[in-house]
This record gives sequence, C-alpha cells and structure tokens, in this order.
Amino acid sequence: MAEYSVVGHRIPKLDAREKVTGRGMYTGDLRMEGLLYGKIVRCWEYAHAKVKKIDFSEARKVPGVVKCLGPKDVTQRSYNTTIMKLLVPEAFSDVFGEIADLYVFNGHVKHQGDAVCGIIAKSEEAAERAAEKVKITYEPLPVVMTAAESKRKDAPQFTALKPGNLAANFPEAFFPGGAYGHNAPDGKTAAQHMKEADLVIEETFYCPRQKQVQMENHTYIARYDDRGRLTCWTSTQMPKPVQNLIAELFELPLTRVRVVQAPVGGAFGCRLGMIGEPHACALAMAVPGRPVKVEFLREEDWVASESRASGHLKVKAGFKKDGTPVAIDAHYEVLKGGYYTHGSGPPFCTAAFMYGMYKWQAMAMRADIWFNNMVPYGAYQGYGNPENTFAVEQIVDRACNELGLDPVEWRRKWHKGIGDDTWLMGVKYASCGLDDCIDKATRAIQWNKKKKEYAKMKGRKRRGLGIGVMQHTSGAWPMLLEYTNLVMRLNEDCTVEMMVSVSDLGTGGHTAVCQMAAETLGWPMDDVHLKCCDSDCNGFDIGAHASRTIYCVGRTVTQGAEKLKQELIARAARNLQVKPGDLAWGEDKEIYCTWDPVKRINARQIAKESIYSFDDPATGKTIGIPGQIVVTSDDFVKHCSPPFSASCAEVEVDIETGDVKVLSFYNAHDIGKAIHPPSVEGQLEGGSQKGFGYVLTEDIYYDKNGLCLNNDFTDYKMLGASDMPQEMGAILVESAPDPVGPFGAKSCGESALMGPIGSVANAIYDAIGVQITEAPITPERVLAAIKQNGGVKK
Amino acid sequence: MSNSRILPEFDLLVPQSVSEAVDMAARYGDKAAVLAGGTDLMIMLQKGTATPDYIIALGEIDDLDYIKYSKSDGLRIGALTTITQLIDNSTVKKNYPALWQACKSHSAPQIRNVATPLGNIMRASPSGDCSCALLALGARVVLEGAKGRREVLLDDFFIGYAKTARKADEIAVEILLPAVQNGLTSSFVRLTRTNFDLSKINMAVQLDMSGKTCNEARIAVGAVAPTTIRAKKAEALLKGAKITDELIKKVGSAIAKEIKPIDDVRSTAEYRREVSAVLAERAIKACL
Amino acid sequence: MKKRSITLYINGEEYTITVQAHHTLVHVLRNQLNMTDVKHCCGRGECGACTVLVDDADAPGGRKPIDACMVLAAMMDGKKITTVAGLEEDGKLHPVQQAFIDEGAVQCGFCTGGMIMKSISILEKNPKAKEDEIRSELEGNICRCTGYVKIVDAVKKAGSWSTKR
Repeated sequence: MAEYSVVGHRIPKLDAREKVTGRGMYTGDLRMEGLLYGKIVRCWEYAHAKVKKIDFSEARKVPGVVKCLGPKDVTQRSYNTTIMKLLVPEAFSDVFGEIADLYVFNGHVKHQGDAVCGIIAKSEEAAERAAEKVKITYEPLPVVMTAAESKRKDAPQFTALKPGNLAANFPEAFFPGGAYGHNAPDGKTAAQHMKEADLVIEETFYCPRQKQVQMENHTYIARYDDRGRLTCWTSTQMPKPVQNLIAELFELPLTRVRVVQAPVGGAFGCRLGMIGEPHACALAMAVPGRPVKVEFLREEDWVASESRASGHLKVKAGFKKDGTPVAIDAHYEVLKGGYYTHGSGPPFCTAAFMYGMYKWQAMAMRADIWFNNMVPYGAYQGYGNPENTFAVEQIVDRACNELGLDPVEWRRKWHKGIGDDTWLMGVKYASCGLDDCIDKATRAIQWNKKKKEYAKMKGRKRRGLGIGVMQHTSGAWPMLLEYTNLVMRLNEDCTVEMMVSVSDLGTGGHTAVCQMAAETLGWPMDDVHLKCCDSDCNGFDIGAHASRTIYCVGRTVTQGAEKLKQELIARAARNLQVKPGDLAWGEDKEIYCTWDPVKRINARQIAKESIYSFDDPATGKTIGIPGQIVVTSDDFVKHCSPPFSASCAEVEVDIETGDVKVLSFYNAHDIGKAIHPPSVEGQLEGGSQKGFGYVLTEDIYYDKNGLCLNNDFTDYKMLGASDMPQEMGAILVESAPDPVGPFGAKSCGESALMGPIGSVANAIYDAIGVQITEAPITPERVLAAIKQNGGVKK
Repeated sequence: MSNSRILPEFDLLVPQSVSEAVDMAARYGDKAAVLAGGTDLMIMLQKGTATPDYIIALGEIDDLDYIKYSKSDGLRIGALTTITQLIDNSTVKKNYPALWQACKSHSAPQIRNVATPLGNIMRASPSGDCSCALLALGARVVLEGAKGRREVLLDDFFIGYAKTARKADEIAVEILLPAVQNGLTSSFVRLTRTNFDLSKINMAVQLDMSGKTCNEARIAVGAVAPTTIRAKKAEALLKGAKITDELIKKVGSAIAKEIKPIDDVRSTAEYRREVSAVLAERAIKACL
Repeated sequence: MKKRSITLYINGEEYTITVQAHHTLVHVLRNQLNMTDVKHCCGRGECGACTVLVDDADAPGGRKPIDACMVLAAMMDGKKITTVAGLEEDGKLHPVQQAFIDEGAVQCGFCTGGMIMKSISILEKNPKAKEDEIRSELEGNICRCTGYVKIVDAVKKAGSWSTKR
C-alpha cells in the first residue's frame, strides 16, 4: 500500500481548536447590528385542523413586537423542503410524482407543529410572549394515524394533488408491477419463483420513526439588504441547492440570493434540504434591511423537522435446503407524515439496498406510502437501509437456524461482490472488501469461542452473538445528479485557495478534502486554504448526502490539484524551453528537467511572476509568464462504489426483565482508503450509537390525537455514555481499495448505522432463541416475545 | 405551551432566614412556589404546569444544607442538602443504603449537584427515586408554618398525583429518618430505559431482621399508582416470617396484585406488573 | 423583585449586572454577557450543552458542574463560574481541551464545550478515574456524533493531569 504524506494520517481536524475553545460560532452565536427575532407560531393543539381565524390583536400589544405575519403576508408559492427535484430530470420528477404541498404558513394543518403564522420582535422574549398571545381558531379535522385510516374512501384528504392519500409508490413507468427488483432467469416473478424454495419465511417488521436529534437547534438568520439581496445564514447540508430553492420560492435571481453555511452542529440527514429557511427568509423580506433570527426550541425539533421513514415492512423470503437464496418478495407500507417531502426516496432505497446485498434469484419490493398526521419523514443516515437490514438480516439468521447453517458462512457465500449489480441495476461493484470485514469482525469479537461458550447458558442472564452485514453507497449516481464544481487559485506565494462548496457536518469533510488536495499537490496541508460555505464564491456542489463527500467531492479536488500541477508544469516548460514531458517534481515545489537537472525552476517563482509580471527595463522582455493560475475542476461522477461492512455484536439479555445490554461490538468497514482515519472511526462509532438506538430504544410516540408524546430528551431515549458498550472497535478495512474512489476511498458517512441493527437483533435472537420483529426491541417487547413463545428457547 | 428557553415572569423573593421564608409563604399562600434546587420547578415553569406569581427562593438561607446523624434524633437532612452531598456522606451510605442507592442512580452529576431529596418529595412524582427510598425507610417531612412546626409521616404526605399535605403557608425544611439499629437493612432497585432516565418502576425495601427472620418489612413501590405506595399486603407476608425463596416469590406475586400501573410513554401496565415481582426478589435478596 | 442586581465572577472577571428574575443563567451568559461559548440546547438540564463549573468548597477540586439552564441567574449572586472560554491560559489549552483535539473527540462540536467542562470535573474529582466512572459521570452530557468513544479516550488521556489548577 502506498505511503502518503498527509492522506491517511491522524492529523487534528481543521476546526477542532475553535470548537474546544468555544470560539466556533454557530448561527445562534452570531451577533449582528439591528438583529430582530422571528418566531414561527405553530399548531400545538391539533395534528389535523383547518385554520379558521388568526387574531393578532393581543400579540401586537406586546412591547417590542415589530410585525405579525399571516399566510397572506408572505410568499404564496408552495414548496417542497427537499432538493430532490433539482437532482433528477424534470420528467423523472413528474413520473415519481413529486409535489410542492408546503407553504410558509399553512391554513391546513397536517401535523402537530405545522407552521401557521409568524412574529417579528425586537427580542427573543418579546417574540415568544407575542406568539403565546396569538389567538388562532381551528376547526379540528379527523386524525389519520395509520395506513388503514389513510386509505379509507372517507378519509380526510391531505392534498388535492394526491387524491386518495397515496403520497407515492414505485411508478409503473419505471417499475413493472410497481416493484423494484428482477425476475428469475426463467422470467418468473419473485412471487412465482418462491415455489422453488424448500423453506419460506414470512414476517412483518415494524420499523420505527427514528429522529436524527442533532444537538444544535435549527437556527437561521436572514436579511434582505439595501441591494435587494437576500442572505440566509443556515446550517443546511446543501447550501447550493438550497440557494436555488430559496431563489425559486422568493422569485429572485441567484445573484440576489446568498446562502452562508454556518458551522453545522450535527445533521445526520435532518438538514438535507430546507427546514426553517423559508420562514426566516419570509420574515426578513417583511422587514427589509434588518436581519431576523429564527431559533427553534428543542421541543420543536421532533415536530417541525423531518424524521426517518417508518411503517411495516412485510418480507417473504425463500431458501433452498442448502441455503441458496431463491426469492425475496417484500412490501413496505410506509407512513409519510403530513407532507410529501422526500416521497418514495427512502422506501425506494430500502428496496435498492435489499437488491444490492445478496444473490437472490428473484426479487421484488413494492412500497405504498400513505399520508398521515405525523411529522413528515425526510432523510436520515441510511435512508431506507436500516429497515432493510432490520428485516433481512433477521430473516437470514432465522433461515440459517432452521436449515442448520452457519450465519457467518451463509453471508460469506451469498453476498454480492465484484461484477455483481449494486443497489442500482446495471451498475456493477468495482471493489468489495466484505470477506475481509467478516474475518476481522468475527475474529475481534472471538466469535467461535464465545458462540461455543454461550450455546448452553442457563440462569437469568443469557448472552448471544449476532452478525449483521450491509452495503450502502458512495454518492447517489446514477439515481441522482452528481456534480461538483471547484476552482483552485494559486496565490502569489504559491499557496492555494481552494473554492468548493463542500459541507462538513462534523464529519471531517473539510479536513479530508484539504488532505487530498495537499497530497495530490505534494505540498504541506498549510499551503491549502479551503474557502467554502458561501454561495457567493462557490460553484455548484450537491452538498453532503448519500455519503458523497469523500468519493465525489474528493475526486473533484484531486482532479483540480492535478490540473494545477499540470499548469505549473506547462509554464515551467515554457520558461525552461523544454517539453512538459521532460519535467518532474522535486523537493519543496521544485520543478526540474529530468535529462538536464540544471534546468530547474521553483513553482514559487512561477506563482509570483504570474502576477508580478513586469517588463524588464533592461531587456524589454516580460518577466515570467503572466496570468494568475486559476483552474476549474468539474466532476459529474459516473460511478458508484458502495462500501460494505460486517458488524458483530455481543449482547446480554436479562430474561426476567427483558433488559438488553450490548457488551461488545465490532464494526469492520470496507473503507477502501481512510483519508482521515479518526473521522472514519468517528463516523463508525457515532453511527453505532444511532444504530443501537434504532434497534433498542428510539421511536417517536403519538397519542390517539396525533400529538407527540416524547418530543424531549426525557422520553426520546438515546444511549448515553454509560449505556454504550465499553468494548467497541471500529475496524478500518483497506484491503480492497476502490479503483474509482480518490486514493481508493469509499464512503462511511451513513454506513455505520446499519451494522448495529442487524447484528444486535441477531444477537438477541441468539441469546434467547426468540426473534423480535418490532423495533425498538424494548424490554417490554422482549418479555412479551418470550412469554408468547412459551419461554426462552436455545 | 412549552418553552425551554424563556420562563414565565414572576416576582422573586429571596428570604435570608427560615422565618422570613415562612412569613412569605403565609403572605402569598397559593400564589407562591418554593424554589430549593429547582430541578423540578424550573421544568414545571417552562411547561406551564406551575404558574406562580411569586417564587420563594431558599438558596441564600444559611445552614439549610446539613446532614446530621445521632442515635437519639436519627438522620436529619436539611432542605438545601443536595443529592451529591448525600452520596458523599458515609453515614448515609452505611445506615440508609436504600436512600444512598436511590441518590447514586439519580439522574446525572449536574442535576445531583443542584437537586435536593426534599425537593424530590415535594414534587411528589410517583416515579421519584428518593421518595421511594424515603418512604420505605419511614421518613418524615418537617414543615414550618405560621402556626409552628409539625412533622408528617411520608406515608401521610403524598395525598395524590403530584400533591402533598403541605399547606400553602408552610415551608418544608427537613427530612427526618429514624435512627438505625442492628438488624435493619434496606435496598433500592429500579428499571429504566437507559441509565440516565426516570424510573419506569422503582422499589425500596427495608427489613428489620433477627437472623433469618424478618420482624418487620416496609416495601415502597413507585410509578405504579398516582403516588409512591406501600405494598402493605406484601409487607404483611414478611412480618415475623423466615425468609425463604418460596416466601419471596409469594411476596412478589402479592406486590404484582397490589399495584395499579398504567400504560404510559415509558412502559406498560402489563410489563410493570410482571417485573414488580422480579424487583421484589432482587430488592429483598439485596437486603440479606 | 422582578429584577436583581448581582455580581458574577466569570473566568476570573467581575461582572455586576442587573438581571430579570425569570432569566436563567444560560440566558444571561449568552444574551446579556455575549458569552456564546456556553451553548443552549434543551434548556431542561438533560443534554449538558450549557455545563459550567461553579466554585464550591465542598466539591472535589473546589468546583462542581451544573447546567446553566437550570438555575436562575438572580440566585447566582457572588458565585464564581468557569466556562469553556476561561480554560485557556496565555494561549495554552487546558489538558482536557488538548486531549479532545488529539483523540479526535470533536465532530460537530456543539456538545464539546459542555463535555469538556464535565470531563474536567470528573478528573478533578478523581484524576485516576477508570472507564466505568468516566462513563457514568459523563451522563447528563449528550453527544449524537461520536458515540462517546473518543470522548472517553480523551478523558483517559488527560487523566494524568493533576488536580492542581
């Protein structure tokens, strides 16, 4: 493996120091002259209602109130919070049925927390007090919580754009029979081909509505200045697409919209698109010249920003006696929530990742997505893959158990690899390190030894081991647009300004791209300055989603650095009067002629003279080659290199109380090449906490009126420092570098969430012999399952 | 509507002595709330479940954060004594293990440094950990009012969900626990969703033992009724009995029948009933 | 009283200010004193983003961690408080701050300030704190990015630092 001077090194993150000193300024920390405070008034009382009347008379009397805004006082355009329509051809978007069903202030409240009107005041306190005094008269509507309720003929309709309340499914135009998948070699559908199976397992899994719970509350500042420019400070993951969406919503040209991406205090998909930007901007447009800050309360997070998709995933899977995966036929009934947002995106990916994992002879997955009065789902790390792993990994283990097969060996034998289709049909895997991952994870957890030890446990504490494998994606090609534009400018002192709109969500993206640039240039890290986070000076980039930053932006960065080097070589060649092919790079930015090393020039001289290019008074000749070196790099990625991983979990179940403790956990991730190892480990470790949460403790609960019961840390439970297993290992597997990814790298941003889900669920199954098909697997569900099965089976 | 950033306005009163505080309570009665550590009151203010015009803040009264033990008076815990102070006290750890364990598993350091066990009692939440332990240990609350000082047994103090027998013109100033004697042992157990969590069910047991025979038992159970309760039928089974595995199982069944749990966001009635027997076994065995 | 004049000693500096009775310490720190190094997240003493250290003679190391959102500023008269901004001395980072950088324990950074203050209190109480104690004492500070792994590593690394301030 190549030894790099910067890539692969455990250097401190670029932003670490300002964060440990507290000097890092998030949007909520910014101070501005004349700052006003905006408050979004939401419907807390009802999950479904029509707004009959808004009375601001008492609110206006609160000292410090500047303006009260109702639905008619702001833009009348409807929108969709997501950037999805920008990432697919228009016709595609139409076929998929994306709609813009959201307004800045809504007269038809479709979930608790829906925005109804707004207040602008001189202080945060005045805005809050005034908001309390707004008198809104509602006409409650029947609450729709389940798919069954939503599909009824007499169900209240969510939007005229989707009669019957089916928000989305897989359109026949692209998906024959409304299913994603493929038929058997003889043309039989998955359902038909199932007859070839010796063992058929059918099960319905409940997949919970998990919430991202980033620690920074959603905060925005917007200002419509004296030049008619609208600036929005936001911690969105996608600054350039959001710039587009804001421009469209407020009917402004892009030159009059500026998005400043503030340091992101966590996102995990929650900020993949817009949340409060429309409201902050709408309020700002009402008070031209004054900046307006809108800061969400923590309790608003669960009701006013998107969650993970949830619902029932019914899976029927057929196996031959020898374990051959014959067919898998699945149906995901999904609860959309009140608005369309991401539509069929996540459920499609559930199907896609189901397709990409194992060598099923036939596969079909359908999805029906129903509007209901919950918070709308959007994007969350994994984007549909958690549901797939929760269901399929358990089905595999159950099949292995019934057929007397080893679950580790089964996965080794039947996972897809190089040359097989990835999650998108026709796109093949170019690399696969899964076997190595399986080896390393099972070895780390001492799989064979502990399996033997735990096979015949007695007593109230039972231990079990489980394995879960997964594949995800690096970038969203070919499903979505992949494009990054980068400009590199060589300064007079031969340092580099790299201008690209790359998002760092705490993920280390900024550090990694600088490492890649410096490594490609062969120059120190300090010589590269990343200028990002400002739409005024950055070209297009999608943003951070689909685990694309290293893989996609990284490619653009390395290509740009190569171009810069080439331009320097070209100029050196002219200066030295040789051919570019005659030149090589030496130490410390030196360029020399390989066949006559006396002929040399330092890049610093080229850089300086590119600007300070004088006409030599003595000779009349021009000094140097004039023209500052500025290169553009564009990359429309036309590849996808999914990473794999294998996770092993060891759990202990108290069979008297149902409590589950994760004792140890190893996640071996097929990273290809870890550009910044601490960041990769950090993603794997942090993703594990969320994966454990998905499978053990997290869900959003509603009462029968659709009102949220746990929009706070008190009752939305996440694993804390003392709940996490002490023995935990993030294993970086670099034995299968990718031929396409920069330096061989694949992604890790979302992957880590899936491993814990499959492995912990399977470990519980191993410990107590009973499978629990509803997540989170709470102690209540464990005890109920043991009881229903007549005791612990081993 | 809940607002986790801005509290509603109130008039702040800062007495410098207990008698001054009592005067204020007498003057403002129902319109005033008392602030000690504040970890419950602050949240109630945010959520709008408490809307006092006045807050009587005890924080600047000297010498209210004591822990005093004597054979004659037993344990006296002052109104401003924090959970952390109790954990750091070796007498509490040795003599009142149920209370010590309840304090140890309570919330997190930042809260323990500010919250008070007396505050836990005054909040009268049925899932209060300190309340549970103190009820099993036979605690009394000492109240100071215009009409003087009185002591109320904790058994008589929780009169309904989040309701205590404190009169509006009284200030709770102290917790009293009986002095311990040989043979007295106690323990506290609880179940939660994650470690830093409110209890979905908790239980405290105090046994007065002579060898293997239990002279007297006190069993407190929380989060299974509108208040923390004593499982008196279960206690009766232990009175004067030799403790065997079989008896422990009977006690567990009796508790499961005595409690009235509900389904809520934290757990289910069925689960609470089932595990109450398990907790009983664990709590009793921990005492022995 | 609806307002109170108080004196706070924050990071060694004296601040005499008038505060509203109903304003929490975190509100006053961030909005009146512009100390944005103290973050505001849940406001209910559950996440620890606003953890500060308050001098207390009884506490090990002489100071204890509290959530600034859970105390009224008006009741903090005379208290000596340390926030994240007060840790650096002459440009030199506190060992715990440096350990967070070195161990890669900083991702999005929003919890970091509070987490560092809590970590300092853990080590001031017991410089030899082992993993069980570290993890138990870190409760009350929520991180959603790191899974706590590198945070625990950072506390262990800084553990060799003495309680001398």
